[in-house]
Amino acid sequence: MSQTSFVPLSELAGRVADGSSLALGGSFLHRGPFAFVRELIRQGRRRLEIIKQSPGYDIDILCRAGAVARTRAGIVAMEGNFGLAPYYRRAVETGQIVLEEHACASLTAGLRAAAFGVPFQPCGGLHGSALPGLNGWQALPDPYGSDELTYVIPRIAPDFAVIHANEVSEQGDARVFGTSHWDRIMTRAAKRVLVIAEKRVPVEAFRQRPELTLVPHFMVEAVAVVPQGAWPGSCWPHYEVDYPAVEAYLADGDEALQAHLDHAPEAREVARV
Amino acid sequence: MSEAWSPFGYIVTNLARFIRPHEVTFSGVNSTLPMLACLLAKRAYPFEFTYINVAGGVDPVPSAIPISSSDPVLAEGSASIFANEDSYDLCTRGRMDLCFLGAAQVDGQGQTNVSCIGDWHHPKVRLPGGGGGAVMLPTARRAVTWRTEHSRRTMVEKLDFLTAAGGMHGVVTPIAVFVQRDGRLALQSWHPQSSLDEVRARTAFAFDSTGAAPTPPPTPEEAAALRALDPDGRFERDAGIVLRKEAAA
Repeated sequence: MSQTSFVPLSELAGRVADGSSLALGGSFLHRGPFAFVRELIRQGRRRLEIIKQSPGYDIDILCRAGAVARTRAGIVAMEGNFGLAPYYRRAVETGQIVLEEHACASLTAGLRAAAFGVPFQPCGGLHGSALPGLNGWQALPDPYGSDELTYVIPRIAPDFAVIHANEVSEQGDARVFGTSHWDRIMTRAAKRVLVIAEKRVPVEAFRQRPELTLVPHFMVEAVAVVPQGAWPGSCWPHYEVDYPAVEAYLADGDEALQAHLDHAPEAREVARV
Repeated sequence: MSEAWSPFGYIVTNLARFIRPHEVTFSGVNSTLPMLACLLAKRAYPFEFTYINVAGGVDPVPSAIPISSSDPVLAEGSASIFANEDSYDLCTRGRMDLCFLGAAQVDGQGQTNVSCIGDWHHPKVRLPGGGGGAVMLPTARRAVTWRTEHSRRTMVEKLDFLTAAGGMHGVVTPIAVFVQRDGRLALQSWHPQSSLDEVRARTAFAFDSTGAAPTPPPTPEEAAALRALDPDGRFERDAGIVLRKEAAA
């Protein structure tokens, strides 16, 4: 694989064509690639598929902007005191987007299938749930003779995994602090990996603690360094959720959405240049 | 106790009472009340247990109590990061002792719907969705859920959609605690300001109430722990839970 490129956020988002499928890192309001998501909206991207175990703000704002055609998701909410993700909810209820409802673990199983290079992956549980019937998932008998039936989930290979990392090295290695949420399996399952990072640090820092690296550089196609890029969510240990900003985002109307986009750190950064 | 037991405190405390010594207990996303229950149990009960959460924390010592139950502060002071995949795999291989799982509707067998109100393909309300339940409810050793509204539309005879089978071990609402008995939810106790008749009237499924009695009030340790977790009542206000609808007017 060729060398990792360092590009502006606009160019990173520009690599995603209309109709692409995107696995987005993080969970709910925490360490999501939210500046990237907003940039997709600014560029008018359409017909995207969003793949994520626990999306919230990201899928909500993309639905609000009309950028989504389809999603595979486990649990969708704004979380905290905000409850349901209102624009996502409306998009499903009105048929604006097509939902493939998963359990978080069944979505992970599909991503694992892609990561492991096999067409499907067993997933524990699911027995008795109506989700397998809804999605056409098959249960297979154990070929080695136990009486257990196990559901198998078809491969999920997103066009892109897009994650927000705490740090990248100058050669494109990426690491996160705290939980990796679902980022690890997403980066192994996707065809291409894009990284947004809080900051760039010398590769020497990575060499001192290689076990902290989540994605080695040869898997990373391109990086944009965007400080505060997970706003209005948190990026541990740099900053916490900006709850007033999430509340302001949830106000009705196109003006509220535009004000939110204009108020984002990456937009203010561009305005200053 | 002299003052009324708030429905918020009732749910948190009774969720905590499901936690047992030396077990592994998990709380997930969208789960503020179970998060508080786990933190309450750590403070109030004289036994050890392992508290793992969706922020990757393993027996964390958070410097603040977060609004979001997946906030990274819940991994502060943790000696390891147990990522989401780890928690699910622990559960499916049968080693998760107690798992707190959300639900919009619960039926008499303790099965849950977190997917939709109305028909799945044309939902009146699209709910958060599958999440942990479909995999964790049938594979956890015990799972417990909570409802902040106890009504015939949340405690239902028939689910609008069967998201997760396997059956809850326990259910806590503002007025009642149910436990599983012979594959059905049975009433264990009711809020001291409620009654068996009220629980029956507000529950759409039939249930056994043999041996049920008013819930024992919070111990001084439980009450003190909850006060310490929510000293200014912010969580209680945010939760906005009422004993019964009339009381909200």
